[in-house]
Amino acid sequence: MKRRKWLSLLLCFILAITMLAGCAGNETGNKDNAAAPKDNSIKIGGSSTLAPIIAQCADDFTEEFKTWNNVDPSLPEEPIVIFVSTGGSGFGLKSALDGTFDFGMVSKTLKDEEKEQFANGSITQLGSDVLVIGVNAANPVAQVKPSLTTEELVSIFSGQIKNWKELDPALPDRPIVVAVRDLGGGASEVFDAAIMKGTPISEEALQIPSMGALAGKIMDNADTIGYVSSGLVNQNPDKIIPISVDGIAPTLENINSGAYKVGRPLLLVSKDQPDLREQKFLDYLLSEKGLKVVEELGYIPVAQ
Amino acid sequence: MINLGAELKEKIISFIIIGAATVSSLLLLAMLIYILRESWPIWSQIGVSAFLTGSTWRPLNTPPEIGILSMIASTMWVAGGALLIAAPLGIGCAVFLAEFAPSSLAAVLRPVVNMLTGIPSVVYGFLGAAVLVKFFEVKFDLASGESLFAASLILAIMVIPFIIANSEAALRSVASEYRHAGIALGVSKPYLTMRVLVPLARKGMLGALVLAFGRAMGETMAVLMLAGNILRFPGSWFDKGEPLAALIALELGSSIPGSFHYQALFAAGLVLVVMVIAVNAVINLLLNRIQNEV
Repeated sequence: MKRRKWLSLLLCFILAITMLAGCAGNETGNKDNAAAPKDNSIKIGGSSTLAPIIAQCADDFTEEFKTWNNVDPSLPEEPIVIFVSTGGSGFGLKSALDGTFDFGMVSKTLKDEEKEQFANGSITQLGSDVLVIGVNAANPVAQVKPSLTTEELVSIFSGQIKNWKELDPALPDRPIVVAVRDLGGGASEVFDAAIMKGTPISEEALQIPSMGALAGKIMDNADTIGYVSSGLVNQNPDKIIPISVDGIAPTLENINSGAYKVGRPLLLVSKDQPDLREQKFLDYLLSEKGLKVVEELGYIPVAQ
Repeated sequence: MINLGAELKEKIISFIIIGAATVSSLLLLAMLIYILRESWPIWSQIGVSAFLTGSTWRPLNTPPEIGILSMIASTMWVAGGALLIAAPLGIGCAVFLAEFAPSSLAAVLRPVVNMLTGIPSVVYGFLGAAVLVKFFEVKFDLASGESLFAASLILAIMVIPFIIANSEAALRSVASEYRHAGIALGVSKPYLTMRVLVPLARKGMLGALVLAFGRAMGETMAVLMLAGNILRFPGSWFDKGEPLAALIALELGSSIPGSFHYQALFAAGLVLVVMVIAVNAVINLLLNRIQNEV
């Protein structure tokens, strides 16, 4: 009985001490940061489009070199640790600025005021993510109208045309289901810049929380039209049918030549100049091996 | 001497416990203040009533239009609808478990119901998106199956276990004299339950419903995947809509910190928190009144 009492007392003390430690944690953390600038892990966070690429490269990089001295002899023999977490492009920008992450992953064209914030740091482009206008394989629009003009796309996505029959009399009398990413997100900004040019998206458009779910919606629902990352279209070639814009198909040639314009860059940003370790990892990402991962996951790697 | 030691120990422990309680209440307060501070420009520039009654949400336009009436309406439809479905089922189930079920059956049912609470909401949402949405599309020939109703159905399943557990506890806590008196008077079991025990336990049952309502309002993942997230004002339960929690989850990740959009989302968050607190407060008042009557 007595022992139990002591046990509970001990637990209470542990509770109190951890609580106090929690209060103090922030201060000491800051002090550590000031004294020794960084621990040796590289922390990367942001866009959910970029995260699989970086995570894959980080795995390969760690697997290949294991410790830093194998990467560069001047570095100590310490294991390579790279953390990758997601949270969106906005989160990537914010966290790179406040120092939560060493690199922010951003998959959108940076505005000038955003570029300025990273003037002392680095902005590295790994490739581009091209948005493809896609429809369901069962939708006859792919045969009837394999190319839509910008005006037609604007009237579909703004909700002026609500029925496939209105687009072309040969199409079925079914409502058009417009699927978009969250308004204000990277992908919808790209779509706005390339196609909508400020025309508001229809209030009836379904806002889908992730690119994968949007692709799934198009694959599941025959009446859906939406914009999808080229990667996801390449991974599901028979289920999502790409539609050309103004006669220009989203092929590799058209994307690389710049003729196909619905796209966004994949960027890594950092607030400060990267240190040796970070630079080595950046070099790896931009090497043939890194860019191969970009391509394998369905994006267009930056020209070497 | 031993007594003095025990007293000291008691004092230390109570000090620690009071400290922990204070810290957690301060945490709630700090969170509210932080959200208020982040969203302050919205309240001072747009105004409370314009923000609450505007039904256009275009935070990125110039000039931005932000009004969250559609989202508030969606939240109420989704949460109220979930309660409409879950309340009769949950309370019925609680009455059955507490009064009528043979103990062997209750011993099986209770843990199963409790286990429902442990299933992550994203799993419910995923199931709903994969099965329910598809079912509505095929069965009712809808262009797309997402709706506030679909979200309510899934939310109802999520909150039923809370309603059952709390209502059952309320029924069990009715003093046994009432049961004995009922048996002594020879009234039937259904009469005793419906006319005596349930009215006596209504305070606890109402509390259970409120808890469920608050949970349904704040639930994000399942709603995000099922409500359809369209910006139009929802005219009925079967329309699509975008509840507040879904709005915040959808857009916060891509909003630029410190921007007007970001502040507007924080303001929406504050509205959601205040709504949940208000529901709790109203019910507490109501409960006090009932208690005074009895």
